[in-house]
Amino acid sequence: MSEKITFKELVELIAKQSNQSQNSTNSFIHELVGIIEDGLKKNGSVSLSGFGKFELRWMKERAGRNPQTGEEITIPGQNKVVFKPFKALREDVNKPFANLESKIIGDDPDASKPAPKAVPLAAAASVASTTGDISIDDLLIEKENPRFPSAPVKKKPPLTTPSEEKLAREVQKKGIFNWSYAAAVVVVLAAFIILFFMMQRLGEQTDIAPTADEPTEQVLTPIEPVIEPDEQVADDEEAEPGEELEQTSFETASHTLQSGETLWSIAESQLGNPYLWPVIYYLNLDLLDNPNQIPSGADIEIPSISDPDNLNEFEREQIALGYFSLYEWNRANNPDEARYFLWAVGVFSPDLLDQPPSQVDPDDLIFARNR
Amino acid sequence: MNYKELIERLASQTGHSQKKTRQLLGEVTSVLSDQLSEGKSVSIPDLGTYDTKINDEKKVYNPHYDAFILVPPKRVVEFTPSSVIKEKMKFLETSDE
Repeated sequence: MSEKITFKELVELIAKQSNQSQNSTNSFIHELVGIIEDGLKKNGSVSLSGFGKFELRWMKERAGRNPQTGEEITIPGQNKVVFKPFKALREDVNKPFANLESKIIGDDPDASKPAPKAVPLAAAASVASTTGDISIDDLLIEKENPRFPSAPVKKKPPLTTPSEEKLAREVQKKGIFNWSYAAAVVVVLAAFIILFFMMQRLGEQTDIAPTADEPTEQVLTPIEPVIEPDEQVADDEEAEPGEELEQTSFETASHTLQSGETLWSIAESQLGNPYLWPVIYYLNLDLLDNPNQIPSGADIEIPSISDPDNLNEFEREQIALGYFSLYEWNRANNPDEARYFLWAVGVFSPDLLDQPPSQVDPDDLIFARNR
Repeated sequence: MNYKELIERLASQTGHSQKKTRQLLGEVTSVLSDQLSEGKSVSIPDLGTYDTKINDEKKVYNPHYDAFILVPPKRVVEFTPSSVIKEKMKFLETSDE
């Protein structure tokens, strides 16, 4: 599979780099190999700093078969030489994929991924993995991963998903994300708390059927979101991006970002409800790419929302579009959490979730609908 | 055998100082890792072959989240011991561990 370099080439390279003759490099390596052998014989293990560790592993006696005759034989116990690369080497070798992170994809992938949705998933996956040279199509279940030890892949009945805050806390605790800005952490936490409380508040106010407390039982099949008839918005234009100006537009006020402010804090002070911060993000997309790092000193537009407790359709749609932009941003930058933003889209505008402005990951969609 | 003992023995056998030996061994391992990082496969006579392979992206069940997790593709080192060293070690009496 890989391109080989011969031992001769290797010796040349090492000799050049260490300013030694090829002869002495060659004998140096042979001595090294001899000592590794000795070390294995004596202690059963040899470590090479910064590289890896050789070990003997005792393989127990086991039953086998002679591949030529088919005759059953007993394979006696024997030692096997194994090499365990150290972290530095593992990281060096994995460099092409180092930027990729694991992401939670919800329930059993086979059950939640009916045939027609397989293609968008592959597309989404290839967006996530920026290096294009591996085939995404064969999703193999293989050995192990240090961060997520593989468990027996058996299907557990889907239970109530852990509450937002708990999950958020655990995710933070496990240090999966390396945010370097304290403000960023605040915003992320805020986002989770928003989602949790918003759901409850809206549940009370507007009778959207699914609430956060309700265990979802039919998680495996995509279902239409359950919506009370009077909540359903009649015209389809609502869901189309870019047409929002037809209905109305926000009256905006200008605001200069101060150091230490977050979109959350601005939404709290200017709009009366911190959970509405995505609408500010959406309105200023050109200025604010990363919602967790907002440029201090920039002038942003703050929409005026008359009554944060009683949003009109246009406002809901704008907020939903804000959450959708955040979903897209997070899918590119923070895929583990992206689905919660998609879920929030549906909270504000179920129509938008039905007709997303751009392609969404089908697994995220199922999560958003069923939550 | 730890790294220190290894250096001591290697130094006495090659006639280099321990410092020099340490430095040379560092060069050897750094060249090896560079080659592996470039995706090349490297054979060392009597010891074995280093190669890399790419583990495909995969889905695993994580009981902690009660959810499936998409684990990204990963490139890993594979070491295949040479038959010489395999045979030498095969029926060796070793103390446990």
